[in-house]
Amino acid sequence: MSAVLTPARMRATMFQRSLREHPGPAVAALTGLLTAGWLIRYGVYGNPHTLSILAGTWVLGWIVLPLMLGGGRGRVRPSHLRLEPVGSVPAAAGLLLASAVGIGPLVSLVALASLPVHAARYGFRGVLAAGAGALLLWLTGLIGSAFALETIGHAGGPVGAILTGVFTGAVMGVLGSVWAVASWITALLAGPPPHVVRWLPWFPGSWPLSAATGSPLRTAALLGGLVAIVVGFALAYLLLVRRSLVTGASWRPRRAPVSPTPSPSPSPARTGGRRLAGGWWGPGPVWAVTGRELRTWGRHPLRLQYLAFAVIYGALLAGLPMVADANLLVPWAGVFTALWAAAMSAGLVGLDGTALWMPFTTPDGERAEVRGRALAWLLLVAPIALALTVAGILLTPEVDPLPAIAVLPAVLGAGATVPVWVSLLRVRPVPDPRHPTSADNPTDIISVLVASAAGLLAAAAPMALIIWGPDGLRWPAPVLGLAAGAAMWAGGAWLADDRLATRGAEVLTAAGRRTRPPETPIPLTWDAAWYRENRATAWALILLMAGWIPVIPQGLMVLVLDIRGGWIVASHFTGATRTGTAVAMVALGGAVLLTGLVLWGRRPRPTA
Amino acid sequence: MDNLDLTVAPGTFHGIVGPNGAGKSTTIGMAVGLVVPDAGAISVLGHDAIRDRASARAVTGVLPDGLDLPERLTGAELLRYSAGLRGLSRAAAAERAGELIEVLGITKAAATPLADCSTGNRKKVGLAQALLHAPRLLVLDEPFEAVDPVSAASIRRVLRRFVDGGGTVVLSTHSMLLVEQMCDDVTVIHQGRVVAAGAVAEVAGGIPLEDRFVELVGAETGGGDGLAWLVR
Repeated sequence: MSAVLTPARMRATMFQRSLREHPGPAVAALTGLLTAGWLIRYGVYGNPHTLSILAGTWVLGWIVLPLMLGGGRGRVRPSHLRLEPVGSVPAAAGLLLASAVGIGPLVSLVALASLPVHAARYGFRGVLAAGAGALLLWLTGLIGSAFALETIGHAGGPVGAILTGVFTGAVMGVLGSVWAVASWITALLAGPPPHVVRWLPWFPGSWPLSAATGSPLRTAALLGGLVAIVVGFALAYLLLVRRSLVTGASWRPRRAPVSPTPSPSPSPARTGGRRLAGGWWGPGPVWAVTGRELRTWGRHPLRLQYLAFAVIYGALLAGLPMVADANLLVPWAGVFTALWAAAMSAGLVGLDGTALWMPFTTPDGERAEVRGRALAWLLLVAPIALALTVAGILLTPEVDPLPAIAVLPAVLGAGATVPVWVSLLRVRPVPDPRHPTSADNPTDIISVLVASAAGLLAAAAPMALIIWGPDGLRWPAPVLGLAAGAAMWAGGAWLADDRLATRGAEVLTAAGRRTRPPETPIPLTWDAAWYRENRATAWALILLMAGWIPVIPQGLMVLVLDIRGGWIVASHFTGATRTGTAVAMVALGGAVLLTGLVLWGRRPRPTA
Repeated sequence: MDNLDLTVAPGTFHGIVGPNGAGKSTTIGMAVGLVVPDAGAISVLGHDAIRDRASARAVTGVLPDGLDLPERLTGAELLRYSAGLRGLSRAAAAERAGELIEVLGITKAAATPLADCSTGNRKKVGLAQALLHAPRLLVLDEPFEAVDPVSAASIRRVLRRFVDGGGTVVLSTHSMLLVEQMCDDVTVIHQGRVVAAGAVAEVAGGIPLEDRFVELVGAETGGGDGLAWLVR
């Protein structure tokens, strides 16, 4: 019994510690509970088919999202029990019990309570059947999430990374264009179209509510189906745990060995009778770094993930508004992609760990490092951005392409060097540079904002000419964009050079710091003395939790889902005033959250 | 470090030893520019290693311990990258990389991403990149760690030939046997200070170097008392 309970106790200790050290889990819990509360409310009056889709999507999100948002951290894993005398069945049971400790499982349980709440209209038997179905869906999410994290989350394979990037890019793209797809969402909330309803019985998310309304035989069959899914996932997880405990190997995709003599390249490097291994690199130190970077971009799972994210996010953000007949952004697909690619590159030094030592021990290596990284980024992103821009222009010939053409070189120039400087300025190393997982993300919001702001700053000059310049003088805007890009390239390179030349040792030390510095522990119970002594931290916590209220229920839910209620300020107005109030609420919440983040960043840290 | 004063004679094999946390890696890091000293001067073969870093780096080859490599490159690609960083001609790089791969027995590691190489193979690839540009000073931090005995013998032979040809090797290690077998001189560092330096035989003072080392660092070897439940 203790073998089953011990992992849960370990997880509870880790969870308690994370609650004490960081506001993230508490903020996530509050956001999740608000959303779950809305789902329960929708369950009271909403359409059963839509509710089934939302419940099923919730479970799917529970399985998939932790792969992208660092859900693997703080988990008790099978490898942790490898040296303990524990059988695979009690180990798997214990690990699953441990997985049930946390915010995700708790919030999901609350959200899925919307199913029995909705089934209340069908009487006691309906509540019972929907409740059992909801519990089985919850177990599916719990075990499915543990299974996915152990396989995909720790695999680090390139295909999984690209798929993760595509998925996150698609989610962000849809969220970013929510105004364009709002009509779809509104229609879905009123009830899905008939062709979707026809396919719904094949979707396990719909089985709990179908069980609530069907005959006893149908109820048993549907709940039996859910039990089969749970048992299937449990058996798969058990096999995974057994493999880890018995063979000592976690699941990892096979890596194809790289050939020592690469396939023939256009210009094979054959010199003096001996072939130079490693393919074509180009001459000199800058090209050496460029070659290293291009190979790393092609092989590193997280870099591939970031690139896939940038392309999909950029393309969707520009293309999805076409759904609402807004074609204005289509030629901007390349610009958006370059901008996101720059933002996602703002933590790359942290991905490489302490590998920077090589240029540090080479004459003029720092300069080559900066230019090589920038050149590789440009060689990789510029063709993609250019192709997307051309495609966008061809797709929408009625839209003036000049602004996008003018801004593209500016964003590319800034995106090449400024993220190099930012990633040298804010080095956040991943725990294991040799085998990073999709849960590792060395980029923080401030780095992303600075890298993006540089692109916007570079774009300001050509855009100013296009918007405010005399009609006849708009045509040189691309030249101005090119000049702005070149200036930002030079500025970013200068800053990065300076950083490496004057603080190289400091950067290297930061890149090697794999353990976090001690955090200020936050008391879980009311401690007036602590709050008096840590006012900044306390305010940061309050703002980070309260800021979501204006953003989500008071703002986004009004704008997107058209919710109403006495405490929703915007619902007391109509038309443009209502929209304006909701937008103002989002802005207010954003400002509150930003202030909270700044205060959190400035909180005093205990000495180690 | 605490007023460390270390002199290495050119053309010699010099060992740096000390207990864990004594400052060996920091000393080596300062010599090659990976750690910046608060004060003092460092001269590498006549070049000011703080003010004229480029000249000092040009004549130095480094194998650090515990630092990452460009993990997605294969061993061969790392050598190609290193050759490019050092501005070696394609002909020289091809010739040297091929020979080093052969001599150090890293044909397999040369074809494998470094992230998937064993610690020993990573050391050998790291050593190959340190030797590639034919430096005059080699600074090696724990070069034989996790290296198999056969490869270690090959590496020792290469390093000895390097020193016999006028090169200088500085290595840090925990193996006193290695120092006795290979080094001309040794420096013992303890708590950031040099506690003994000179020819190996001179520092050992007629007793095994390991015993002398324990004496010098004033450590008491534990393990004699307690643990009754274990030894029964």
